[in-house]
Amino acid sequence: MGFNLDFALSTIPIIIGAIGTTLLATVLSCLGASALGFTFEMIRRGGGAPGLAVRFLIDFIRSTPVLAWLYFLYFVLPFYGIRLGAMTVGILGLSLYYSGYLAEVFKAGIDAIPRGQQEAARALSLTRRDTVIFVIAPQMLRNIAAPLGNYLVSILKATPYLAILAVPEMLGRAFDIASETYRYAEPLTIAGVLFLALALIVSYGVKRIEKLLLASGRR
Amino acid sequence: MSMLDIWLGILQGLRITAAVTAYGLVFAVPFALVFGVAQFVTTGLTRFLVTAVIEFWRSSAVVVLLFVFYYVLPVMGITLSAMTVSALVLGLNSGGYASQAVRAGLQSLPAGQREAGMALGLSRPAILLLIELPQALVAMSPTFVNNLIQLVKATSLVSLVTLTDMTFRAKEISQTEYDPVAIYSALLLAFFVVCYPIALAGRWLEARVNPERGAPRGI
Repeated sequence: MGFNLDFALSTIPIIIGAIGTTLLATVLSCLGASALGFTFEMIRRGGGAPGLAVRFLIDFIRSTPVLAWLYFLYFVLPFYGIRLGAMTVGILGLSLYYSGYLAEVFKAGIDAIPRGQQEAARALSLTRRDTVIFVIAPQMLRNIAAPLGNYLVSILKATPYLAILAVPEMLGRAFDIASETYRYAEPLTIAGVLFLALALIVSYGVKRIEKLLLASGRR
Repeated sequence: MSMLDIWLGILQGLRITAAVTAYGLVFAVPFALVFGVAQFVTTGLTRFLVTAVIEFWRSSAVVVLLFVFYYVLPVMGITLSAMTVSALVLGLNSGGYASQAVRAGLQSLPAGQREAGMALGLSRPAILLLIELPQALVAMSPTFVNNLIQLVKATSLVSLVTLTDMTFRAKEISQTEYDPVAIYSALLLAFFVVCYPIALAGRWLEARVNPERGAPRGI
């Protein structure tokens, strides 16, 4: 059969056409994972029974594969009458899975803030909410920029998992072409090259932004 | 089927999960050592080529990479079993991540270590093998444990290329039993039971190796 280069090249525009879905899934999953991860970390910090439960949940999430979570949500939610599109389930799955990792990132980011900051906030009798929003969060953001950027790239590389739920992102589109033409090698190779290129570009961009943030942080 | 039957059914796939992990390590460990060290000692064009190979394996999306190799190798006239392809792709991907830990571990050693070796009249390879690598590998051992956990979790992907691992068993059981909650909870639990002890071992190692770093960072 051989590898048909012309055919491979002809699939590029079709697969790139799905880049919007890939990027949308990446951004939404990253936002979801950040929101959930931050919430988890705040609950964990609060201690008590909820803190312990969340601590265990984070360990549980980090000990289990993302594919298992995607299947879990995809098949279990409808069982309880919750019907969502594959894309939504995929984004929920990636958000949940990566929240376990981002909670650790937020933890490290907060731990790196000098203790005096919180004590000063208390001395000024700021409420806990105001302390988090105006004192902790802004300083934390600079600390977490680098690891957060790395996880953004990781999430981008995890979006092809959504193809397994039949979400038409780039890998899904490649499989569509493959099943129509019975040629798998060419569209999958193109998908592989495109994902690699995209990951390298995004991780380059992330490094640039990190540098800018570090430069602006030096007073 | 009772919850226990489902769980035992899924655990039948543990043999394949373990086999892919072990076989994957056969690729991952030599790759991480050779390329991590090569990136540390080489300069100029050689270093660029070494980095390019590492970046290919670690910056590619592992899902896509597995499918690419699974479908492209036969077209190139190379027929490998699904098991070998999976071990190769998952192993080298994991090895790519671990190679960065090897390199970072070597780079973070004080220059005095190498200088002392030179003062004793040791050759460069001897310094590397007897002085630098042992220290770097011990310091980085918690990271390698994390890489191992990621590898175990990534083996869930082999269910997509026909291997009957735990994830595949869960899908098989779900074809005869409509009980998604029990089946996919059992799948998550099965991975947790495998990965969590490894994570705990990693924390213990972290506390031993880097006691000054304080609280262990988790999985």
